[in-house]
Amino acid sequence: MTLASMQSVLKRYGSCAALDYIDLEIHEGEIVGLLGPNGAGKTTLIQALTGILPVDQGRISLFGDSRNPFSDANKQKLGLVTQEIAVFEELTAKEGLEFFAGIYGLRREEKKKRVAEALEFVGLSAYANKVPHKFSGGMKRRLNIACALTHRPRLLIMDEPTVGIDPQSRNHILESVQKLREQGTTILYTTHCMEEVQEIASRVVILDQGQVVKEGTVQQLIETVRHEETIIFDVADPLGIPLRQVESIAGVSQVSVSGSRITVISAAGAGNLDRILSVVQQHSGVLGIQADKPNLEDVFLTLTGKQLRDREGSR
Amino acid sequence: MRVLSTVRFTLLRLMRNYIVLLLLLAVPIALLTVFSVILSGMVDEAGRPYFDQTALTMVLAFQLFGGSTVMSYLNEDLFARNRERMTVAPFNRTLYAFSILLAGSAFSFLLGAAIMAYTRLVLGLVWANWGWTLYLIALMAVLSSIVCVIFVCGVKSFSTAERLSEVYGVGFVLLAGLFFPMPQHAVFEFMGSYGNPLTLSVGAVRAVEIGNWNEAWFQANIVLAAIGFLFPVMLVMGRRRLR
Amino acid sequence: MTIFYFTLKRSFANLANLIFLTAAPIACIFLPAGEGWPPLAYGYAYFGIVILFVAIRLAQIMMEDRVKGILKRLSVAPVRYFSYLGQHLLAYAVILILQSAVVVLGGWIAGQELHRPWALFALYVSFSFAALAMALAWISVFRSKDAAFLFYMSLIVLAALLGGIILPLEIFPDLLRRIAVILPTFWFAEGLKSIASAQPFADNVRINATLCLYALVFLVLGSTRRMQ
Repeated sequence: MTLASMQSVLKRYGSCAALDYIDLEIHEGEIVGLLGPNGAGKTTLIQALTGILPVDQGRISLFGDSRNPFSDANKQKLGLVTQEIAVFEELTAKEGLEFFAGIYGLRREEKKKRVAEALEFVGLSAYANKVPHKFSGGMKRRLNIACALTHRPRLLIMDEPTVGIDPQSRNHILESVQKLREQGTTILYTTHCMEEVQEIASRVVILDQGQVVKEGTVQQLIETVRHEETIIFDVADPLGIPLRQVESIAGVSQVSVSGSRITVISAAGAGNLDRILSVVQQHSGVLGIQADKPNLEDVFLTLTGKQLRDREGSR
Repeated sequence: MRVLSTVRFTLLRLMRNYIVLLLLLAVPIALLTVFSVILSGMVDEAGRPYFDQTALTMVLAFQLFGGSTVMSYLNEDLFARNRERMTVAPFNRTLYAFSILLAGSAFSFLLGAAIMAYTRLVLGLVWANWGWTLYLIALMAVLSSIVCVIFVCGVKSFSTAERLSEVYGVGFVLLAGLFFPMPQHAVFEFMGSYGNPLTLSVGAVRAVEIGNWNEAWFQANIVLAAIGFLFPVMLVMGRRRLR
Repeated sequence: MTIFYFTLKRSFANLANLIFLTAAPIACIFLPAGEGWPPLAYGYAYFGIVILFVAIRLAQIMMEDRVKGILKRLSVAPVRYFSYLGQHLLAYAVILILQSAVVVLGGWIAGQELHRPWALFALYVSFSFAALAMALAWISVFRSKDAAFLFYMSLIVLAALLGGIILPLEIFPDLLRRIAVILPTFWFAEGLKSIASAQPFADNVRINATLCLYALVFLVLGSTRRMQ
């Protein structure tokens, strides 16, 4: 079942299209990793999908409802973990969660139970009666997540929830996200950290200049850019290797020598490893072989380019 | 019902906001204590202690600044840090804003009442009519909150709204002639009398002290009319900003 | 002098600061004179309060540097802490001296009764130094910019009242008058009285020296804590 969808959604800021006729679907039970360079439109997409920002054109549907997607009934099933830590500094962690549980209509016993569960879930039970003023960055981030969980949303949207925190807190958050998915929550997760997406996402959407440039599973995305592979040989006698002969192998585009290391770039899937290895072995002892495969970061950089994306007031 | 559940937390936030408590409770108490020492035994031409007049003016003057907390909470919850989370929540934000206004005004009123109690219990000041003075404090608290909501909804930058609220508070204190005499000019004379909520409130309380209830109601009703006039303005601006 | 130059630039970068730094002294010129008190026109007494506010507002820039970690970055640059501090204080002093000059010159042009304009200017400058040093000492013990400003603002009002800027000291009970002597605001009010009543030059020097002594004491207190 599709929990959220965007069809030909356009959002402009002056002459700049932050969302350029975008199409997106989020299906039940998925963790969708939303990636994009700064200013790609990730936060605008989240704001449009949650009704925070009105769009100029296009159709948004939440929980199958495209006529009134941001009705209270639909909002009740939606959770948002904001990028900025939005917790009340004057209220204790427990009181802050009770506040949010209250505005989602939870009453007395149910509220108490859900608040305790949420605190337990983010590992802050021991700090329930402390004000977040003195919490560490990681603790505040976890409390920020808990604020969006007390009402048990069906669709949870997380906008860079791991910014600026220690590896322990980050690991805790990633484990929590996976646990939520096991419990049936669908998650849209935006981040700049490729490893996180590679670790948790069942599907990845790459956004650039307001458009979806690619989507699919991590493996599918890697396959799309896997045009070349790099093979590195550590050899005993690098000068003895006939580089011309290696270069003449079909599919090999580049051969270079650096110290005792020979680097060969060959077309992916050409099955050249055996051929190159036999040539190398004829002229020198081979001490080691290393095949460098592309990862999600290579996919990202291939699709969005390596140039810096500095944009004033990027959203 | 959902908004009602938040009122307790808004009040808790207000009570734990030590800066508000410092500015609206500790400072006036400290100043009143100093004034009570300086002005002890001094009386005006009518034989009334100078301190009575000072205490009344100060209790009411600090209400001019009470709206700044309402403004700051509205900004934080609906326009700045918590905006996104509040927008995606299934509850009435306009009603929530109204609950902050009420809670903030009530809190400012309570602080005013606490200062009055302090002057009575510790400094021995005898208030002529508690009920009437509290009514004026309530009017001033509500007016200040409404004005501040208009500021925060009317301008984009919160720091500009803050500066405007300071101008509102300090401006009316200055126009009331508390720090130096204002120039003899029709505009200044009006803004120092019937155009000034502080002067009107002080005047209303003093009128009751001399038994002139007509004048007291007249002056208090001008403040009430200002509230009545500004309330729809606030509603329109608030709804426009929250849209 | 890079730090000095950018401190000046930053002091005027914020619109609220710009208005406060320019409009407040000009407003002081035009405030009326009282009947018998204060010794000079109201604006010339209240300018002392303005100086205290301006000093803390300017010193907040250094506090911002500390809170945002800019000071840490500078500590690994080839800049000595005292050079940083000195250039900041110099920039703030320049602003306050200019404000004082505007108030005195403006009053002279506007025809205010200033008695001895040079002595008045000297008093404002000495008081500005004391105010800056007090602001420096104050911000060195706070971590939150807002809390530092609001607490200080409350103290300024109390100090102005107890020092005799808002009400004449003559009406104070004896005990309060004795306590007032320890406040820099008392010496400022004394300075105004001395100028208005044409006291001997040595009296002005004594008052200015006392204010400079305050500046020195608070400067030592504020600068020994490295604000990191």
